Amino acid sequence: MEIYLPIAEQSMNVFILLGLGGAAGLLSGMFGVGGGFLATPLLIFVGIPPAVAVASQANQVVSNSISSLQVHWRRGNVDLRMGLVLLLGGMVGSSAGVSLFTYLKAIGQIDFVIAVLYVVMLSTIGVLMLFESARTYIRRRRNPEAPRGKLHTHYLVHRLPLKLRFYKSKLYISALLPIGIGFAIGVLSAILGVGGGFVLVPAMIYILGMPTAVVIGTSNFQILFVAANVTFLQAATNGTVDVVLALLLILGGVVGAPIGSRVAAKLPGVVLRGLMSVLILAVAVELLTELLRMPSSLYSLGIRQVLP
Amino acid sequence: MRGWSAIAALLMALLLATPLGAQGPRIEPPAGGIFGPLPGSGQSADPSMPPSVPNQFETPDLIVDLSRPRVSITSAFQGESILLFGMFDPPGEIVVVVVGPPARETVLRKQRVLGLWLNTGRQEFDDVPAYYSIAASQPLQRLLARSAGGEILSLEDRLQSVQSVGQREHDDLTKFRLGLVEVKRREGLYPAAIGQVTIQANRLFRAELSFPSRLPEGTYEIRTYLLREGRIVAAVSRPLPVGKVGFSAQLAGWADNDGALYGLGAIFMALFVGWIGGAVMRRI
Repeated sequence: MEIYLPIAEQSMNVFILLGLGGAAGLLSGMFGVGGGFLATPLLIFVGIPPAVAVASQANQVVSNSISSLQVHWRRGNVDLRMGLVLLLGGMVGSSAGVSLFTYLKAIGQIDFVIAVLYVVMLSTIGVLMLFESARTYIRRRRNPEAPRGKLHTHYLVHRLPLKLRFYKSKLYISALLPIGIGFAIGVLSAILGVGGGFVLVPAMIYILGMPTAVVIGTSNFQILFVAANVTFLQAATNGTVDVVLALLLILGGVVGAPIGSRVAAKLPGVVLRGLMSVLILAVAVELLTELLRMPSSLYSLGIRQVLP
Repeated sequence: MRGWSAIAALLMALLLATPLGAQGPRIEPPAGGIFGPLPGSGQSADPSMPPSVPNQFETPDLIVDLSRPRVSITSAFQGESILLFGMFDPPGEIVVVVVGPPARETVLRKQRVLGLWLNTGRQEFDDVPAYYSIAASQPLQRLLARSAGGEILSLEDRLQSVQSVGQREHDDLTKFRLGLVEVKRREGLYPAAIGQVTIQANRLFRAELSFPSRLPEGTYEIRTYLLREGRIVAAVSRPLPVGKVGFSAQLAGWADNDGALYGLGAIFMALFVGWIGGAVMRRI
C-alpha cells in the first residue's frame, strides 16, 4: 500500500516505512539507543531526500525518547542537574547544527557531509564496541570472577574550572565537560537526524565517569529536548519535517521497542554489544562503498526555485 | 489486547484522514475557468510561442478535452494517467505537447576527489520546464518535415533556448544540459519516447498522458496541434493544474506558511504518540 508523503513529495510503501520504524524500535529496545543512526541511512537508501530523512527522523527521536524517559524517570534514573548542563550545550549545538545544515544544503554538499560523517562515526564506534565486547568476552571466559574496574578514573579533564557537584551521579567535575559533550551531540543530532545516544552513552560512561544506572535516563532527557529543538528549527527554517513519514516511523517504533527489550532480556550483554557493533560496521561499509563507487550518474539536481 | 486496538485505531485515523481531507480546500482553476480563454499569452509558460498561433481552447477545426480537469495529489497519489481526446476536421495529423511550469534548476556534477565522489561542478539554468513530453499520431520527423519545426519543439530544441546563469564554456555547458535531461528522464519528467496519439474514423483522436508520482506542482500547459502537410493549421491550448489536495495540501501548506507552528505540531504529535504508545505497549 502506497502513501504520498507531502513534504518528501513522493509516494512510498507504508509497510517499508512501518518496518523501518519497527527495526529502529527493535534496536532501541535491545540496545537502549535510539536507532536513528540506522533508520536515517536506510531512509536515504529507499529514496527519501536526505534533508527530509534527517529532519523527520529527528521528529521520530522525540517520540522514542519520551517513551523511554517515562520509565527511567519513574525509577529515578535521571540526573536532572547533569541533564540540564548537557542540555545547555545541546541546545546551542543543535541550533548551530541546523544553521550549518542549511548552509551545506544551499551549497549542495549536504548529502556528502551526511555520508562522510556517518562513515567516520559509525566505523569508529563499531570498531571500539567490537574490541570492547571481544575483550570482555575473552576475559570472562578466562576468569569469570574477575572484579569490575574502578567506578571511574581521574584524567586531566577533571582539573578544568567551573566545577559542579552532581549528587545523583556521585561526581564533582567541571561543567564545561558535559556542556562540550552536549554541544557536540547537538551538532551531530541536527546534521544526522540521530538522537546521538550511541555516542552520548559511551561518552557519559567513559569520559564523564557517570554510573551506568543513571546514564540511559539522563541521556534520554537530554536527547528529548535536543531532538525537539532540531525538529522545530528544521521545520521553521528548512521546511523538511514530513509528519506523515515521522508518524509511520513512530508507529513502527512503538511496536518494535518492547519486542526488542524482550529479546535483549534473553541475551547476555556481551553478545548483544557484539551483534550491534557488527550491524553498525555493516552500515558504515555500505555507506563508504557508496562514496567510493563510481556513481550511476554524475549529475543531480539541487533545489528547484520557482521564479516569480 | 487493548493495546493492539489502540494502535489499530491510530493507524485507521491516519488512513481515514485521506478521503475525509479530500473535501478540504481545492486548488482553484486558473482565472477564466477551464473552458474560458487563457488569460493572455503572457501567462502561458513558453516564451517561444509566437503570437500567430491562436491561443484558445477550441477552434472550428480542432476540439480537445481531458478526462480530468486537474491532477490531484492526494495521500494515495502514485502518479496519474489522463486521457486527452478530441475531434478534428480531416485530413490531418495530431501532435500534443505537455509542458510543466518553468523554474530555475541547479545541476550539480560529481567529480572524484581523493577517491571520494563529491559535487564540484554547479550550473544553474533559468526557465527549465518541470515536465516535457510529446505525443504524435505519426513519427515526428515526418510530420515536421516542412515548416512547423519552429513551433513544435523537441525536448532537445526546447532546452537549447534555456538560459544558463553565469559564464561557462560552450562544450561544458552542453554537458550540464545533457546532465539535466538525464536526471529529469530518470525521474520520469522528460519521457524519452514520443507518446502515441491514436486516430479513429479519420476524425477522432485520443492520447494517454501519464505523469509520474514525483510530480512538481504548478499549472501545466497541454498544447494540441493539427497539422496538414507539415503545417500547423489549428492549435488549442489547455491548462492542467497539478497540486496537492486534501490532507496532503493542508500539511504542505501549513509547513510552507507557518513552519514554526508546524514544527510545534510535529513535536506534540511525537510526544503524544510516544507517550501513549510507550505506556500501552508496556502493559501487553
